[in-house]
Amino acid sequence: MNGGPALVSILRQGSNLIASVHTALDDSQLVRFEHDLVEQIGEHRSQGVIIDVAALDVIDSFAALTLRRIAEMARLSGARTVIVGIPPDVAFTMARLGMGTAEVPTALDLEEGLRLLAEHATGSHPTHSPSGAEPDW
Amino acid sequence: MVRRIVHARVGAHPSADDLVQETLTRVLAASATIEPGMLEPYAIVTARNVVASMWRDADRKRRNQHRVLDLSTPDAPETQIVQGEEQSAMATALARLSERERRTLLDHEVAGTDTRTLAEREGSSAGAVAAQLNRTRARLRVEYLLALEQVQPPTERCRPVLIALSSGDQRRQREVHAAQHLLECDPCARLSRPLLERGQQRDDTLRIPVTGDPDIVAARVAARELAARLRFGTSDLTLIATAVSEVCRNIVRFAGSGEVVVELLETPRRGIRVVARDGGPGIPDVERALDDGFSTYGGLGLGLPGARRLMDEFAIVSEAGHGTTVTMTKWERTNDG
Repeated sequence: MNGGPALVSILRQGSNLIASVHTALDDSQLVRFEHDLVEQIGEHRSQGVIIDVAALDVIDSFAALTLRRIAEMARLSGARTVIVGIPPDVAFTMARLGMGTAEVPTALDLEEGLRLLAEHATGSHPTHSPSGAEPDW
Repeated sequence: MVRRIVHARVGAHPSADDLVQETLTRVLAASATIEPGMLEPYAIVTARNVVASMWRDADRKRRNQHRVLDLSTPDAPETQIVQGEEQSAMATALARLSERERRTLLDHEVAGTDTRTLAEREGSSAGAVAAQLNRTRARLRVEYLLALEQVQPPTERCRPVLIALSSGDQRRQREVHAAQHLLECDPCARLSRPLLERGQQRDDTLRIPVTGDPDIVAARVAARELAARLRFGTSDLTLIATAVSEVCRNIVRFAGSGEVVVELLETPRRGIRVVARDGGPGIPDVERALDDGFSTYGGLGLGLPGARRLMDEFAIVSEAGHGTTVTMTKWERTNDG
């Protein structure tokens, strides 16, 4: 992003984009990540987006909001977003904070996330997701 | 007299006698230009300076021992000018004390009168005299700095704040809202640095200046590391880091700059206290800011109420025009966790 080791990598795999966060991000870095990712979704006409947040030290209200916003913008561009890799302690904190990822589906890890996207791509109207959530896409 | 001062500071150091001699030489050389009553204070200051510069030289030599180049030769004329300035600053500072303060301090420091004798003379107790001496020294340090830097304190709050910091009296510092004042007053922020450095740096307290987004991450990472010294589980560490993140964001968003102080507590229980402070515009309606979903910048409105839920104790004080202070504590859990 701005010199030094990449904070985030965005890789294209077929019709999906896989964005991995590599370190703790501050607010402006999150915003830049949001812009970069949304831009690439449009550029590659992606159908699915996976955001791997395992390396984020915390997901506070701003990070949660940014993730939701990315998913919403991706949805408007015709892509589905799955957030993967939320560590248990971060999940615990998010629940205590009283926030979540709203209707953005989540999966345990990258593999699960890809499966979720693939399932959706084959079955046009999935009635359930592996996590038991009720995605309303 | 000079000998006593020097000995009190260096003990039986081999160079003690040299130092005494040098001090006397300097005092005699300057005696013509000194007001009669000021000879004693001048001698004290000179002795202190001589001793201090010896330590400084010794320290510099030690630090530079590993270097091939010998950097220990000081620039003589410059050093003398600096010392001259320091001496006149000390004389000015002494002159600003009250007659009684100055006499007690000099009798104790110079003439070596013990606190009990002084107490009998003043009709009070040795403890009270010792406390008064401490206050006088604290004032002297402040006046010395003001004279040395040739600064006039811009507001009438400055002196009480600086003296409270100088004395290291935390209760007094809270009374005069010292930390708050330092955020608002640049001269005091600058002057307070040597005063704060004087107090021994405690390694269970961290002070992180917050001026921009990167500091949000720095503060929460530092808080997590400090908290990890206690028996907090990973979940609690993440809770603490998240709460710090939320309050830091408020500083950056609403005040522009401020600071976060993270402190490990031993009493009444082991825990961690986070104080986030800014000198910003303040929160007009604190109750409302603590309501879920109330946001002034299109956020989730979970910052303050969220942080409150994450921590065990949470207090917020905000005054219009004088900024906001959030104090929050997480106690170490005794049974599980």
